[in-house]
Amino acid sequence: MSGGTPKTVGGYCRARITKDEALRYISHLDYASLMQRAIRRAKLPAAYSEGFNPHMKLSFASALSVGVTSEAEYMDLELAEVLPEQEIADRLHPVLPDGVRLIGLKVLDDKPKALMALVDEAKYEVTVPLCGSFDGVQAALASFNAAKECVYIRKTPKKTREIEIRQYMHGDVCAKEEQGGLLRMTMAIRITPGGSVKPQEVLALLCERYALPVQPDCASVHRLALFGGGKALLSECAGEVRT
Amino acid sequence: MVPLTPDLLQAVTKPARYTGNEWNMSRKRHEDVACTFALSMPDVYEVGMSNLGLKILYEILNRREDTAAERVYAPWIDMEAEMRKRRLPLFSLETRTPIREFDFLGFSLQYEMIYTNVLNMLDLAEIPAYAVERDEDAPFVVGGGPCVYNVEPVADFFDLFVIGEGEEVLGELVAAFVRWKNEGRPKGRAGFLRRAAGISGVYVPSFYTPRYIDGDFAGMEPLGEDVPTVVYKRVVRDMDEAETMENPVVPYIGIVHDRIMLELFRGCSRGCRFCQAGMAYRPVRERSTKRLRALAREMADATGYDEMSLTSLSSADYSCLDGLVDNLMEDFAEDKVSFSLPSLRIDSFSIGLADRMQQVRKSGLTFAPEAGTQRMRDVINKGVTEEDLMNAVSAAFRKGWKSVKLYFMLGLPTETDEDIIGVARLAKKVVDRYQEITGKRGAKVTISVSCFVPKAFTPFQWSAQNTLEEFERKQRLLKENIHDRSIQFNYHDARVSRLEGVLARGDRRLSTVIYEAWKRGARFDGWTDQFHEEYWLGAFEALGVDRAYYNERERRRDEAFPWEHTSPGVSRAFLRTEWDRAVKGELTPDCRRGRCTGCAVCPTIGARVIDGGART
Ligand code: SF4
Repeated sequence: MSGGTPKTVGGYCRARITKDEALRYISHLDYASLMQRAIRRAKLPAAYSEGFNPHMKLSFASALSVGVTSEAEYMDLELAEVLPEQEIADRLHPVLPDGVRLIGLKVLDDKPKALMALVDEAKYEVTVPLCGSFDGVQAALASFNAAKECVYIRKTPKKTREIEIRQYMHGDVCAKEEQGGLLRMTMAIRITPGGSVKPQEVLALLCERYALPVQPDCASVHRLALFGGGKALLSECAGEVRT
Repeated sequence: MVPLTPDLLQAVTKPARYTGNEWNMSRKRHEDVACTFALSMPDVYEVGMSNLGLKILYEILNRREDTAAERVYAPWIDMEAEMRKRRLPLFSLETRTPIREFDFLGFSLQYEMIYTNVLNMLDLAEIPAYAVERDEDAPFVVGGGPCVYNVEPVADFFDLFVIGEGEEVLGELVAAFVRWKNEGRPKGRAGFLRRAAGISGVYVPSFYTPRYIDGDFAGMEPLGEDVPTVVYKRVVRDMDEAETMENPVVPYIGIVHDRIMLELFRGCSRGCRFCQAGMAYRPVRERSTKRLRALAREMADATGYDEMSLTSLSSADYSCLDGLVDNLMEDFAEDKVSFSLPSLRIDSFSIGLADRMQQVRKSGLTFAPEAGTQRMRDVINKGVTEEDLMNAVSAAFRKGWKSVKLYFMLGLPTETDEDIIGVARLAKKVVDRYQEITGKRGAKVTISVSCFVPKAFTPFQWSAQNTLEEFERKQRLLKENIHDRSIQFNYHDARVSRLEGVLARGDRRLSTVIYEAWKRGARFDGWTDQFHEEYWLGAFEALGVDRAYYNERERRRDEAFPWEHTSPGVSRAFLRTEWDRAVKGELTPDCRRGRCTGCAVCPTIGARVIDGGART
C-alpha cells in the first residue's frame, strides 16, 4: 500500500478490536473511518502517505459484512514514532466510540506482511431462533457436514453465480441448543485468494437445501476469531496488552 | 423505549440512520431533567445531521442541566413502511423515546419542499397535525430556520416559531417552560403559549388571525394586547461571546457535510436581489481569528475529523481570510487536517486560496455568476463582470484545475432571450479560455441552471414567477444554444420550483392544501425521485385553490403581504427602492465595509456590523 516509501524511524502496531452490537449496521468503510477518527482523537503519531490527500497508514484484516458483530477485528497502524504498547492502549481507550473495545495490542518490530494477505480462516458463531426439533438440526448438519460438494447460488443485483461451498468449510458446522429456543452454531470458514463464503450464505443454504429448522431472517452472526496459518493474528505476541 | 429488532433493521437501507449512539452524543435520563426537547430536521439523517444550526442548538440545550435535547430525522420511505406495519411510533435517536412524550418538538425548516415531511413525522409520532387539535400532553411543536420568513402556509401546524437565530431564544423558551411547569402549568397549554409570546423573537400563530378583503390578504390581526404586531428576528450580537458548538456529534455513516464546520461569520450584505439569506441574515457579524482558531482546535480534538470547511454565506468575504488560512494551516500542520471553502468568490484571490488549501482538483471549482449577461447581473445586483469570471477561471486553469461548475438562474425579472443565450456564450468562453491557457482541449464546464423562485423579504417579492411553459421554453432555448461537447447542462425540474414559488409567498389558506397533498401521499418532495406532482395538483384542485394567484401575478405596489409580521428587520421601503433600482439596472454597494445603505436591519433589531476590515 505504501509503495516504495523508504523505511522511516517509525513503528508498527497491531490491535485486536471489536465491532459490537452498537456498530452492527455500519459498513466496513464507515468502520474504518470511525477508527481513523478515534486514532486522531487519541493523538497517536500515525504515519500518513505523501501527496495532496494524505491517508493514514491503517489497514484491516478482513472486511466484515453489515449486520455482523465481531470480537476479532485486526488492524495494523504505522506510526511515525515508536511508543510503548501500554501508552498506545491508554490513549486509544478513552476515545473509542460505543461498540469498539480494544482487546489486545502489540508493537511489531518490522513492517508486517499485509493483514489481508495473512488471514486465511474465520470462525463465526451464528445464533438463530429454532423452529423445529434439535434432532432435525442434527440430521441437517450431519448430512451437510458429510457432503462432498454443495453448490450455493449467489445472487447479487448484477449477476448470479454458482459457488461450491464445501471447499471453504474447515471442519464441521456444530450446533448447541440454547435457552429461549435458540440454536447456537459455530463454523470455520476458509478465506482463500480465490474467494470465500459468508456465514449467512451457509445458513441460507442449510435452510433451503438441508431443511435446517430455524428462522434465518432473525439470525445474528458474530465473528469469533481470525486465523493466519492456523494461528490467531496476535497469539504469538509477547507482552500483549489486555485492557 | 421503542424496540428496534434485528429483523426490522435488516429490512431497511442504512439502518445506522436510526440507531444513534454516535461519538459526542448526549444521553440523559429523562427523570433527571425538567425539560425534554426533540430537535429535528424533517429530512433523512444524512441531510439533517449536516445542518449547522441544529448542531449548535443541540449542544447549547444539552449544556443546560435541566434539559435533555435529542435528535430525530425523517425515516426514509422503507423505514416508514416498516414502522407503520409494526405500529412503531416515531422515536428519538438518543433514548428511543417516543417523540410524543417530549415537551418540545422543534423542526428546522430549511426549504418549502419539506413541509409534507413535517406532517408525516407528526403523524408517525401520533401528534395531531393541526396545533388546535393537540391536547395538554402533546409536545409543543416549534418551527425555526429560513422558512419562518414566510411561515403562514404551515402556521396552523405549529404551536410557535422562533424567528431568527435560536441560540439565545431557545434557552429563554426552556426557562419559561420550566417555570410554568413548576408552577403547576397555570392555564394549561394556552397559558404557556401566552408566556412564550412575550419572549422576543417568538411567534405564536394562534394569537393572530389573518384578515381577507375580497379574497385578498389584508393584514394580520393580533389577538390580545400583549402580543406584538410584528415579531422581529433575534440575532447573536457578538459571535465571539455567543455560546456555540464545540463537540459536534460524529456520525457513524457518511453524511452530506461530513466534516467540521467552522462558521466564520453570519450575514452577507452583498445585496443580491434574489437572495433571501442575504436580506434576512443581516448584519454581517464576524468571529475574530483568535476565536476561530480556538474553536477549530477544540472541534478537531473533540471529533477526530481530518476535514474542516470554513463556512459562511460567502466565506471569501471574511476580512482576514488570508491570515486566518495561514494561521489554521500552521496550527494544524502536524494534524493532517485539510481545509476547504464551500463557495468561491469570483476572483483570483479565491483561486489563490483554494490552491493554497490544496482543495481537491478532481471535483473542480464552483462559481455562481447567476446570470449570463452584464445587464441581467446588474438587475440582480450581482457585482460581478465577465472579466472577473474570466480572470478567476484563468487563474484556476493555470493552477491545474480542469473542471468548473457554474450556477445560473432562469426566469429572473426583466429577463430576455438574449440573457439566456448569454449563459451559453459565457460557458463557451470559459471552455475556450482553457484551450488558450493550456493549449489543449479537455476542460469540463458544467452549467447548473435553476428556476428562479421569488422569495419573501427580497426586492423581488413583488415579482411574478415564470409559467411552466416559459421555464421549459427557456430551458430548451439554452440547450439549443450549447454546441460545445465540453459543456454539460443540468437544469432543475421547473414543476418543483413552481410549487416552491407558490409556497414561498403563500398565506395561511395553503395549510389545507399541504395537508391534502400529504394525505394523497406527498413526502420527500425535495427529492427528485420522490416528487409526484399529481398529489399536489390533486390537492389544489380538490380545495379549489388557484396556484397562479400566488406565483404568477406581479403583486401590487401597496399590496399587504402575509409574511410581514415575522420580520428579519429589513424595511419594506428599502426593498421597494431596490426593486425599482433593479428594473433600472442600478447597483447598490455592500454596507459591510462601506456606508450603510439603509436596509434598516441594524436599528430595527439593535445589532451592528462586526467586520475586521471595517473595525481597523
Ligand atoms: S442597516 Fe445599514 S449597515 Fe445595517 S445591514 Fe442594513 S444596510 Fe448594512
